[in-house]
Amino acid sequence: MVKKPNLSVDLGRLKLDNPLLTASGTFGYGLEFAHLARLNRLGGIVTKGLSTLPIAGNPPPRISETRGGMLNSIGLQNIGVETFLADVLPGLKNFSAKVIVNLFGYTPEEYCALASRLDEVSGVDAVEVNVSCPNVKRGGLQFGQDPEMLYQLIRQIRQTTSKPMIVKLSPNVTSPVPLAQAAESAGADMISAINTVLGMSIDTETFRPRLATTMGGLSGPAIRPIAVRVVYQVAQAVSIPVIGIGGIETAQDVLEFLLAGASAVQVGTALFRNPRTPETILLDLESYLARKNIAHLSDLVGQLKLWEDKE
Amino acid sequence: MHQKPSFADWTAIVEGTVAHSEHYGTLRLRVTSDFPEVQPGQFVMIETGRGLDPYLRRAFSVATLSREENSVLLGILIKAVGRGTRNLMDAHPGERVRIMGPLGHGFNNSPAEPEILVAGGVGVAPLLMLATTLADQGKPFDFYYGGRSRNDLPRLTDVRALTEEAGGRLVVTTEDGTEGIQGLVTAPLLANLEKGDKGRIYTCGPNGLMKALATLAEQFGLSGEAALETDMGCGFGACLGCVVQQVDGTYALCCKNGPVFRFEEIQW
Repeated sequence: MVKKPNLSVDLGRLKLDNPLLTASGTFGYGLEFAHLARLNRLGGIVTKGLSTLPIAGNPPPRISETRGGMLNSIGLQNIGVETFLADVLPGLKNFSAKVIVNLFGYTPEEYCALASRLDEVSGVDAVEVNVSCPNVKRGGLQFGQDPEMLYQLIRQIRQTTSKPMIVKLSPNVTSPVPLAQAAESAGADMISAINTVLGMSIDTETFRPRLATTMGGLSGPAIRPIAVRVVYQVAQAVSIPVIGIGGIETAQDVLEFLLAGASAVQVGTALFRNPRTPETILLDLESYLARKNIAHLSDLVGQLKLWEDKE
Repeated sequence: MHQKPSFADWTAIVEGTVAHSEHYGTLRLRVTSDFPEVQPGQFVMIETGRGLDPYLRRAFSVATLSREENSVLLGILIKAVGRGTRNLMDAHPGERVRIMGPLGHGFNNSPAEPEILVAGGVGVAPLLMLATTLADQGKPFDFYYGGRSRNDLPRLTDVRALTEEAGGRLVVTTEDGTEGIQGLVTAPLLANLEKGDKGRIYTCGPNGLMKALATLAEQFGLSGEAALETDMGCGFGACLGCVVQQVDGTYALCCKNGPVFRFEEIQW
């Protein structure tokens, strides 16, 4: 009797039924799409980034399709942490998907206040600290680009919460390695990478940028090679688990990230095209493992063979 | 925050495309009979290619819906403006496309008032569905239909037939005078309102048209609704890309709070 392949993931203090999470900003707070995608098939949901107070976001136009992806400058629009805790979290507890709350602030104090607010809340399985969103003109952008500032921030947040903490890195840096190492030293439990890539598009009829904020974040398949590269670099440099994000559409994409060193992944922009993408990926991952006679998906993590490696 | 979920993702089979002119056609899609009722003004998100380019789905009003014995036939009016819409215009019978819907809130037609429908070009799509519904209900309406030229009045024949069936008046305008009255569609409407016509206005078309109608409505003390269009990422409320500014300063999602909005809600 063939044993069903094991897709479970051990991220230290966070355990997942399978490696698929939904990325922040691509699936709201999860609950409102429970009828569109089976939440019990997800390893976890990462909420839209939450701030202490609700944020309205940027003026339109906020999105622009690109070849194999899209640009966005949503501007961190969110309902605020209190509305999330009161109206959304209770419903999310009915599903098996782990709940990871993405949070951000404009000062270390704001980050810490949020982390502290969530620390005692049951139903929040982990927090993901957004230090890398390129759409905000102040605050977060700086932390994620300076290793010393990032170290100080994460150290402070670490003191306010014992929840498993993921630090989400930006690709808009010369090298992710010093930042990943700073986050690890400061007490992060996991690294997720990458956030969107800073980009721009111009309408040649109107002469205007397609986004009202001029620049925005590029996501989708177009960025996957950048994301795989960052995951590889980070996984080589830290001991804590890495979660890969960037243009995942298929099981093959997931496997790329695992081989590069990620233990889990987040599916984001693909959900806009098809909210059932994670479910399809899961079936294909199971088929792949059966075909390759691999018992546990996590056996593939970091199994990249460089050309100079011996067989 | 949570509306009652009534939409899903469907695999539709292309029946074919009926071309109206070089740039306009109606894509006929067949779906299973459990496709829900569509409120006039609601829309669907249709994937326009099998691969990664075009990447996002495209939003289209549902223009017609015919419930048959074992299936539902949807009519989607397409204006070929880019690669995605061109792909749909060229779709072959038998091809499968995924469509998500029905999405958004449609027109809220008021039983008590006479109704005035105003369409600009491809904006006729949701108003065609509204006219069909009103004609079925035996409710009279006037229909004002404007376009750049005679080739920008797709489904005019159907609009004419429905308006006659409803016992209403059809007014057609083209900017170049190649069909109907020359000029903008707001001109004959203004003239009729000045003569004492009253009614609730329903519109879909270029933003300039809808804004002008909102102003006219306010001027004459009339109520009205507009079916707005924005670029959309997902169409179902996940990406937050489709916001429209409201008069109270807040953002509303065109896909979820709209696409139909009352005139007085929108910051034109």
